[in-house]
Amino acid sequence: MEQNVLLQLSHISKRFKTDLALVDISMSLHPGEVLGFLGPSGAGKTTTIKIITGQLRQTSGEARILGTDSTNIDASIYEKIGVVSDNSGIYEKMTVWQNLVMFAQIWGVSNARVEEVLRQVGLAKHRKKQAGKLSKGQTQRLVLARAVLHKPKILFLDEPTSGLDPATAVEIHKMLLDLKAEGMAIFLTTHNMEEATKLCDNVALLHKGEIVEFGSPQELCLKYNTNKRYQVLLDGNEELVLEQNPENIDKIAGWMRKNQVQRIHSCEPTLESVFLQVTGKALSA
Amino acid sequence: MGNTTGYMNKLFAVARIKWTCIIRNASIMVGPILTVGMVWMYKVLYGSMVDGELPPILTGIILSLGISMNICMDGFMMVGMAIAEEKEKHTLRVLMTSSVTGAQYFVGSILFPFVITVAVNFVVLLISQVSIEYVSIPAFFLISVTASLISCVLGMIVGICASNQMNASLIAYPLLMVFMMIPILGNMSEAVRKVSGFLFTGVLTEMTDCFANETRYVVKPLDVAVLVGELIISVLVFLILYKKNGYEKD
Ligand SMILES: Nc1ncnc2c1ncn2[C@@H]1O[C@H](COP(=O)(O)OP(=O)(O)O)[C@@H](O)[C@H]1O
Ligand SMILES: [Mg+2]
Repeated sequence: MEQNVLLQLSHISKRFKTDLALVDISMSLHPGEVLGFLGPSGAGKTTTIKIITGQLRQTSGEARILGTDSTNIDASIYEKIGVVSDNSGIYEKMTVWQNLVMFAQIWGVSNARVEEVLRQVGLAKHRKKQAGKLSKGQTQRLVLARAVLHKPKILFLDEPTSGLDPATAVEIHKMLLDLKAEGMAIFLTTHNMEEATKLCDNVALLHKGEIVEFGSPQELCLKYNTNKRYQVLLDGNEELVLEQNPENIDKIAGWMRKNQVQRIHSCEPTLESVFLQVTGKALSA
Repeated sequence: MGNTTGYMNKLFAVARIKWTCIIRNASIMVGPILTVGMVWMYKVLYGSMVDGELPPILTGIILSLGISMNICMDGFMMVGMAIAEEKEKHTLRVLMTSSVTGAQYFVGSILFPFVITVAVNFVVLLISQVSIEYVSIPAFFLISVTASLISCVLGMIVGICASNQMNASLIAYPLLMVFMMIPILGNMSEAVRKVSGFLFTGVLTEMTDCFANETRYVVKPLDVAVLVGELIISVLVFLILYKKNGYEKD
């Protein structure tokens, strides 16, 4: 195995009674890398996280996390990884501070670290607030703060911004990029292609339990950029979408020479359209 | 951090979380408060009726009522409802993916309710004012401790089976009826009294009746067998359920 592989999945499959939830999943994760599993609801994202973090047993295949086979891991693995599930709750009747301190005690983390994380997630001035009174975005920041108190090597996030408004999602994204900058590896799932494009070094497109494509968001988008098109806005606010062919190239060149182009964009596909092209299904189904 | 320190830190963190949740949950805290309040109220009420020292029969009723209520409702409900609340609020899985082991969660969950239950039993004993010369403190202590422990383990069983607090009360109710009502009904029917002798709560009320009637209480081998047997059975049932799905089914 490679030296600095934190997580390695080889041919993982999962069957619930008769339903195949995961089919032959293989991938690896390295320090400082953000890896995204992108797929619509029911694709198998949560199942994947549960198997890797030892909450569910795979039907076949092998998952190694921090060098240990996931079927052999015990509670001590959670001292080295952070898990945020799709419904991670907080102790609503406790204060923000208490919510963190309880877990600091579990991990043997100092109050100074609690203080540091509290500031990092911008909840320092709410420390005495009852956690149940926090807004949705603040609650999710508290959940994240708790998950990284013990500086885990890998952070698992199951749809961390689902149900949050765009502005709050942006706050969470910023936090995640900060954590990445600190060298933390992040494994996240999402059904939001913008989020995947913005955050992930590599993305696995998950469809019906199968990885149908894998690569960096840019790689994937360029790979499926088969018939190149350009969107042009001309003087007089005439908007056109033109395919790349000799005739159109001359046309565009002509407009440019006459300085008639107000705006020009290449129309490479987004992850959304790549997903649609590969699976025939929309992400937001 | 040393291994043992780390182990105990996690256990005490769970106990601290439980304590904080329990004392803030009115529907759980009502149990011990109601128990002590009722015993005290009966004491005052009966006292004003008989004008002076209570006859043994009334002291006996107060004592066995208070202790049955405490054993059946307090530790039992505290433990069960607190776990159900964690499932409802999705914090149980957070704890179980934070390096707390099943055993640490078990001990941490029952620690505080157990201490409260044992303490309330003593408080009830004091309020009832049975003549202390007829009370065998070691027997009372041992039986009360064992019964409180069984009560807490039963609470763990309720917690493992329940998915929310509503559901926990539904599961708890039949158990509560059996363990609380049979010893009480035992005062009225000889047949029921026989059955009651095989329940840990029955052993307990038999002892308190002795105290109240001012007859010397001796622990019978059957009583020990019932207490130890039911403790072992409840732990086994818990373990079987835990082996199957852990604390929470996926
Ligand atoms: N405990 C379970 N029992 C049976 N089927 C399940 C269970 N958990 C998930 N599934 C099925 O596995 C598939 C993948 O689910 P999931 O991993 O939750 O998808 P996602 O998180 O991508 O929305 C779905 O078809 C779902 O119905
Ligand atoms: Mg999911």
